[in-house]
Amino acid sequence: MAEEFNTESMLDMFLYESGQLLEKLEGIILEKQDADCFDDSDINEIFRVMHTIKGSSGVLMYENITKVTHKLEDVFYYLRESHPDDVPHMELVEKVLAVSDFVTGELDKLKNGDTPDGDEHQLVQDLDEFLGRLKGEIKKQGIQMPQANKHEEPKQFYITPVAGDDSHFYRISIHYRSDTQMSNIRAYSATYALKEVAEDLLYTPDDILSNEASGDVILAEGFHMLLQTKSSKEEVIALIDSSEAEEINFDELTKGEYGKALAEFGREDAITIDLGEEQKPEEKDKKKDKPQPGDYVVKTKEAGKGKTLAKNQPKQQSIISVNVEKMDALMDLIGELVIAEAVVLQNPDLKVPGLELSNFQKASGQLSKITTELQEVIMSMRMMPLTNVFQKMKRIVFDVSRKLDKDIELEVIGENTEVDKNIIEHITDPLMHLVRNSVDHGIEENAEDRTTLGKPAKGKITLEAKNEGGKVYISVKDDGKGLNKEKLYQKAMDKGLIDNKLISEFTDKEIFRFITLPGFSTKEEVTEYSGRGVGMDVVVKNIQSIGGRLDIESVEFEGSEMTLIIPLTLAIINGIVVQVGNSPFVIETASIKEFVRVGEDSLIHEPSGEEYIVLRGECYPFIRLNERYDLADSISNVEEGIVVVLEHEGSQVCVLIDKLLQEQEIVVKPIPPYVKKVKGLSGCTQLGDGSIALILDIAGLLIQDGERR
Amino acid sequence: MRILLAEDDFASRKFMDKQLSRYGECDVMVDGEEAVDAFLMALEDDEPYDLVCLDVMMPVMDGYQVLKAIRDIEAQRGIPRSKGVKVIMTTALNDERNVKMAFELGCEAYAGKPIDVEKFEKVLSKLGLI
Repeated sequence: MAEEFNTESMLDMFLYESGQLLEKLEGIILEKQDADCFDDSDINEIFRVMHTIKGSSGVLMYENITKVTHKLEDVFYYLRESHPDDVPHMELVEKVLAVSDFVTGELDKLKNGDTPDGDEHQLVQDLDEFLGRLKGEIKKQGIQMPQANKHEEPKQFYITPVAGDDSHFYRISIHYRSDTQMSNIRAYSATYALKEVAEDLLYTPDDILSNEASGDVILAEGFHMLLQTKSSKEEVIALIDSSEAEEINFDELTKGEYGKALAEFGREDAITIDLGEEQKPEEKDKKKDKPQPGDYVVKTKEAGKGKTLAKNQPKQQSIISVNVEKMDALMDLIGELVIAEAVVLQNPDLKVPGLELSNFQKASGQLSKITTELQEVIMSMRMMPLTNVFQKMKRIVFDVSRKLDKDIELEVIGENTEVDKNIIEHITDPLMHLVRNSVDHGIEENAEDRTTLGKPAKGKITLEAKNEGGKVYISVKDDGKGLNKEKLYQKAMDKGLIDNKLISEFTDKEIFRFITLPGFSTKEEVTEYSGRGVGMDVVVKNIQSIGGRLDIESVEFEGSEMTLIIPLTLAIINGIVVQVGNSPFVIETASIKEFVRVGEDSLIHEPSGEEYIVLRGECYPFIRLNERYDLADSISNVEEGIVVVLEHEGSQVCVLIDKLLQEQEIVVKPIPPYVKKVKGLSGCTQLGDGSIALILDIAGLLIQDGERR
Repeated sequence: MRILLAEDDFASRKFMDKQLSRYGECDVMVDGEEAVDAFLMALEDDEPYDLVCLDVMMPVMDGYQVLKAIRDIEAQRGIPRSKGVKVIMTTALNDERNVKMAFELGCEAYAGKPIDVEKFEKVLSKLGLI
């Protein structure tokens, strides 16, 4: 049991532990799904997991969980004791997963504060029936029947408090009018009224009744209360007599903030304990480890002192859990810091000629180093391995392939790749969809179809994650039938999803991308798992919302590969600052292919006004940013300016700029909502000299370009 | 059934008294020491309690001390654990460390406040009290 979690409530602890055990269980099962049987250590482990969950759910009186785990424990008890041969392995795997699903479902209900009321009868019956057959098998094989597994009913029970977690936490400050008489009595009556609904109430000054002078303090500094209650804000406000109050401040706190506020309030527990420890240093360590009888004696109230509960000792923890909102706030602040740093280091004041800056340069170098490190640390704090996501995928492949009766092997590569937590949340669903698609549509229905093509009868899906050049690549690859270009084209045409063009006018990638169009589904029959034609477009939308893209590769009869390419982080990118006229623009470094100077002769002017550039025999669409965004005082002669070749999802576009300014880490800020949405711009940022630069959105430029044509 | 209830908070005491009185005669104490005294007295008079409900945070002696004292007294008098009084802790302290400690000290059940009356009754029947 992890020490650092043991101050959690009993219920949290149960949920956490059981969750961990179930995850482990699923891991074992899926690893051994293809084996002929479980080996001894697996059987022991599964037995132990079931035993533990059965025990703790028994203590907490969740009877349906207890019954189900009890039955499965029995099954594994016989397996462990008798080692019968010919156990139907697949059936056993399914039974274990069914139990695991059932318990997970019940745990989820508990997490949401609901009652775990799932009906266990069917499952218990199935297990009973299975166990009966197992026993018959044991007898038939002439192995001695072990003694019946003895179950001890738990002798001790924990009664979970009714919905203890929906408490609200408030900080209430009352400022009375300066001429209020007996403000201390008023304050006391406020606390008295609140006591009815309070689960915990702390106030300062705390000696309001016994010390008349406290009235002056209340008038001067206000009367502050911390309240933990189940009542709503309105109910609490209604309880407080506000007749003489000048101002009542009412803040709702989170549990964490409340704890912090308690400490600020100087709840005197800490002090009491400290004194105690000084007197008995030898007991100090012991005390920290475990609460002892006598720790919770309520001290009698001394005159002039608040009620003091000698409650918890300071905890020793090496891991703390942090609210994600705080992490996000920290992330934003770091972003601001990076901007502020640039503002200082590239301040126009420094550009005065003849300044002696060597010390400044040294200091600024140090500053840059620290901010970069800071940025890395905060990024790493948000990083999580993909292990859990991939685990889910294993389960999906298992379930779907069983259901569709396909024999499929899943290979997982790089599951320890770490990505930003935000990104994990966004890719789980899309990835699930891709995996499902591969199992359902990718791998052939019949093993014969595969063998005639010279492929192994068993299908193979490879799930791979890797980290490369600031991007995360997650690919789902199958060795199935692949995509048929003609079929895709025909389908898209029939559904009127594409322009009337010949198939030869599309590149392979463009054709593959048809499957991501809304309303496209090549499968004639819709199955339970996929083929409804909603999905791939949603996948692409989800991925695009985090700045990623989907890459599709496929060779017919050999297989397909879908790759999600996602930026490692969302907020800070490497960019090149360029200038057009008087306006700075930022282009993401990763999307720049090259900078070139071209002559007038490599330009092609179409009669419709469109322009193209021919570079080394390749033709690229050409966009003049100055014309696109109506920028004055800019270079319009191609030979004087610089042409930047940009690439996005395999398509290229060239833009004309005046000059390059610098390379910089860019903190992406959204364009404020009061500015009309402009195509081709994805955001803005602040530059070192304080000016605002617009960030070019290559995808937007390409789309706009395509529409124009 | 004879019940001993130790609870220092007035509101909880009132509530518990009302609940428990349905099952039998309920003696109410306001601090830990009183509870131990009452327990001893009942043993002396040969009218031992069947159920003890203990708050944890109480003046003079806390619930854990009382629980320990009760089990010590029983051990000293040679009362086997199976014949000992059933003890239920009733407290808002429901973190795992406290619950585990209470179990180690030998309570039969640990009820987090606010108390789930339905489950409380279920436990009483499992303990063979009602």
